[in-house]
Amino acid sequence: MTRLRPLLNLAIILIVWEIVGQFQLVASGALPAPSAVLLRLITDWSDYPLHIGATLYGAGVGFVIGNLVAVAAGVLFALYPVSARVARGLNVAIFALPPIAISPILVLTLSDMAPRIVLAALGCYFVTMTATVVGLTQADARAVDVVRAYGGGKWAALRFVQWRNALPTILSGLRIAAPNAVLGSILAEFGGGGRWGLGVYLLGSLGRAEPDRLWGIGLVATAIAALAYFAFAALSHFVTRGTQAVTVPSAVLSSGDKPRPAWQQALIIAASVALPFALWWVLLALLRVPTMIAKTPPGLFDYLFLLPSAPIAQGKLLAALAQTLPMTLVGMVCGLALAFALALSSQIWPAIVRAFMPVALVTQTMPLVALTPLLVLMLGRGPAVILWITISVTFFPAFVTMAQGLLQVPRAALDVPKAYGAGIFKQLRLVSVPASLPYLFAATRLTVPRALLGVMIAEWLATGTGLGNLLNQSRGYLDYGMIWAVAVISVLISVMFYQIVVAVERRTLGRLGMASAE
Amino acid sequence: MKLNLNRRNFLALAAAGATLPLTTRLAMAQATPFNFQASWINDAEFAGYFLAIDKGYYKDEGLDVTYLSGGPDVIPESSLIAGKADLTLTTPDTTIKAIVEQGAPFKIIGAQYQKNPIGIVSLASNPIKTPQDLVGKTLAVPPVNVISVEAMLKISGVDRAAVNIVPYAYDPTPLIKGEIDASLDFTTNVPFTIQQAGVEATSFLLYDFGFTIFNDTVVVTTDTLAAKRKEIVSFLRASRKGWEENLKDTTVYPPTFAETWFKGTGRSIENEVYFNTAQKPLMEAAGGIFSMSEEDIAKNIEALAAVGIAATREMFDTTVLEEI
Amino acid sequence: MASGIRLEAVSRTFTSRGQATEALRGVSLDCAPGSFTALIGPSGCGKSTILRLCLGLDTADAGTLAVGDFSPTEATRQGLTGVAFQDAALLPWRSVEKNIALPLDVLGLPIADYRARIAELIALVGLTGYEKALPSELSGGMRQRVAIARALVTTPKVLFLDEPFGALDQILRRQMNIELQRIWMETQATTLLVTHGIDEAVFLADRVVVMASRPGRIAKIIEIDLPRPRDPALFNAEHFHALERQVSEALDGH
Repeated sequence: MTRLRPLLNLAIILIVWEIVGQFQLVASGALPAPSAVLLRLITDWSDYPLHIGATLYGAGVGFVIGNLVAVAAGVLFALYPVSARVARGLNVAIFALPPIAISPILVLTLSDMAPRIVLAALGCYFVTMTATVVGLTQADARAVDVVRAYGGGKWAALRFVQWRNALPTILSGLRIAAPNAVLGSILAEFGGGGRWGLGVYLLGSLGRAEPDRLWGIGLVATAIAALAYFAFAALSHFVTRGTQAVTVPSAVLSSGDKPRPAWQQALIIAASVALPFALWWVLLALLRVPTMIAKTPPGLFDYLFLLPSAPIAQGKLLAALAQTLPMTLVGMVCGLALAFALALSSQIWPAIVRAFMPVALVTQTMPLVALTPLLVLMLGRGPAVILWITISVTFFPAFVTMAQGLLQVPRAALDVPKAYGAGIFKQLRLVSVPASLPYLFAATRLTVPRALLGVMIAEWLATGTGLGNLLNQSRGYLDYGMIWAVAVISVLISVMFYQIVVAVERRTLGRLGMASAE
Repeated sequence: MKLNLNRRNFLALAAAGATLPLTTRLAMAQATPFNFQASWINDAEFAGYFLAIDKGYYKDEGLDVTYLSGGPDVIPESSLIAGKADLTLTTPDTTIKAIVEQGAPFKIIGAQYQKNPIGIVSLASNPIKTPQDLVGKTLAVPPVNVISVEAMLKISGVDRAAVNIVPYAYDPTPLIKGEIDASLDFTTNVPFTIQQAGVEATSFLLYDFGFTIFNDTVVVTTDTLAAKRKEIVSFLRASRKGWEENLKDTTVYPPTFAETWFKGTGRSIENEVYFNTAQKPLMEAAGGIFSMSEEDIAKNIEALAAVGIAATREMFDTTVLEEI
Repeated sequence: MASGIRLEAVSRTFTSRGQATEALRGVSLDCAPGSFTALIGPSGCGKSTILRLCLGLDTADAGTLAVGDFSPTEATRQGLTGVAFQDAALLPWRSVEKNIALPLDVLGLPIADYRARIAELIALVGLTGYEKALPSELSGGMRQRVAIARALVTTPKVLFLDEPFGALDQILRRQMNIELQRIWMETQATTLLVTHGIDEAVFLADRVVVMASRPGRIAKIIEIDLPRPRDPALFNAEHFHALERQVSEALDGH
């Protein structure tokens, strides 16, 4: 019965959806019934193989390249902690960059499949890099000592102990990276032209007023992302079975860094800030993109501060920021609150939350372009639709992280209040919530860039306000300076929010003597 | 050093066994390569070029044409600047704005549509027949086209603030469901889609209410014009031939592209035939396809001036057309 | 043939959050070739630090260390040393055999030449039949015995043991002590054992080095003159208890 439970839930959801669709109960029929979507999918099927092939190609090549770079970088960072600190600015920037802002830049500077591949690779990089570093550095320090006690150096420790220890972690990273690659590729297809790809197909079908087809394309994209996820979940299960560590690693490998003089610290921080800008510059120089399209850091500075048109550009940018920033903050708080409430509910009413999960999963991978008409019809074009989209893109990763945190609360710690007769709420308040604080912060860090992404998508598709709209309009007006300005500023905002969360996290967890959760 | 991926590899991986070329290269040993960036996804708007490729008109002119599809998020002018394309089709307002404001080195050397097919589409049940009808209504406009609408409103003496302009993502569903009152789109296309959904549509052209501009203006960079003038002339000659053939009977050719150019676009052939028929009167000109009469250029300059875009006669170069 | 261990005026200070802790101050110790020395002391007295310094896992701030005629790093690279830690620290994905062979892999020695040696060690620690088992399939005591076998695989001339039986129960620990004595007597390796079990130290060692903390230093060295081989009955002998008392008093600072 327990095995059938998720299937039963799914069946209930499908039946409700079918009824809603058939009787046109939502948004006067803009939500098609699953049977209509399925029939449409069958009729259209001859169109699909080439589109799916192109999307898989972009996603696949990006996945391979992105993960190879990520693992190599992870190894470098784990073996030479200084390199991790120097690359920190770059890593945070890559983590925080909203794909919607970077996609036009990629389309402008690269050609053919390259933008899709790069965006897919970027979607993989941070997840896999972090997993690699965590997996390598959290290897059993005693086992590493054994290797070093026989004269083995960093590389021997890597070869005999760390990499194998990191393998399950890296595989679970790949599990998340795989759907990211698919979504990255589709997103770049929106802006990249070309004949084939699910994103291209979706855009081509937008003008047809056929929600059933849009849902069909969206669900196929979702299915591919889900398949990619489960393929790596299965692989990870296969690799790790029977080799779980027999003892909990007693000590986490310390970086072994001696304290550095202040000037060295300052140098490292300066290098970390300068690196993303240097890389931006160097890449443009290597690609030889015409200067009118490709703005270098000084070029952008000119555009924003020195050119005669600078005051106008500043004015537009500030006006857009004034619309986008408050919504980002509100959306972030709401997304986190919902995630937190759900995570707590999953402890109290696990069945209800499990039933809700399939719906939540679909909201994560359905291209928002396909959902926009529905959302606009239901929510209008005001702050409500921005909030809805922002919450829908933020809450899920935050929820997963928080739920994981609540699950990892040691049973023994819960037994104490239980032994004194505490109910579930008291247990949560006294033990679970404080104990999972590191995960709460990790969730907040995840949420920051996604909130900005959500707001910009909503502004672009629905409300026509703020940075999202400015970005879209600037592309139409060939206002390349503004495209770069919006992209760079949205990355800077994400990084800034991220750093604020990190600072609060360090203070709070430091005071409580807790370690941060990756 | 541009990052370029081998299309052959791509095809092998993406669609093993598929015989359809991703982009059409008319492989000719001596033919000069020529890249053409279209302004939209493959539909009847480009039927003339498809025909010219299929019938070998470009090959006859010694050109090896690579056709690059466009789409809502493809900015054709960017392809010229990035060096991806030699020639493209644009909306003249954005092109001229880019020349004026960004110093972009563009020349307009022809116009596919003598009359811009862009118009205000609404439902017959809630008809919007003139700009004045827009007062108090919600109008969905692709962000790129907002200036065109603002121009039309200004010329017609309608207060911009009285119209609620929202973004349009080229999906007519909100219009059909009544969430918006009207949208800005190609009148050659959307009314058909709306009919298919079982509702009657009505529309008017911005052109007929003072925003007298071309559309799908043929644009090249000044550098390309100097370096490849002969090829550009050849391209226009072959393209004109393709269009003339296509417009003889607008129902004949769209079906022949069903399994090639139109495959996988998600659009029906009936839709393309409707489009092809509707665009004919907007394209035909006394001077032949692509022509730009002095009178029409003047109208363009005048209309754009109303939105504060300072177009000048020098931005239009009619000498290439004369060489066809 | 065995090599000794020599520490001269070794000091090591750790700094953490701006606070300095003197783990070792001016420690000198000489372990003769083939001797068995036990290091005992309260936590934080630097006994594990001595072992880590001898293995080249850490470097001293002052003083010199030698293992045989070499620096610790050279000695470990040449395969002179063997080590077992409190945690068996087995690699969960390697079988018993392969875990024992890990030092050979690190030192780049051909495993084929050591097949017989590995089989012999598995028999020595009583794990015959478990050659292909994964660590997760073994009990705690069995895992610890794998770690001991691993420490011996290179036939080390110097053996370092950091509380190798710390995690075992008393009964198992006694058994392991007896086995360790047997192994040591067979191999004649110079052995340095870090422990906090007084009975274990007295039972196994030629000398018990009692350490004190803050700063970490040697408080007293007690010679253990019990004849070898020592058998389990000794745990109840009067002289054994007298020696235990001596160590215990030295730990209390007398």
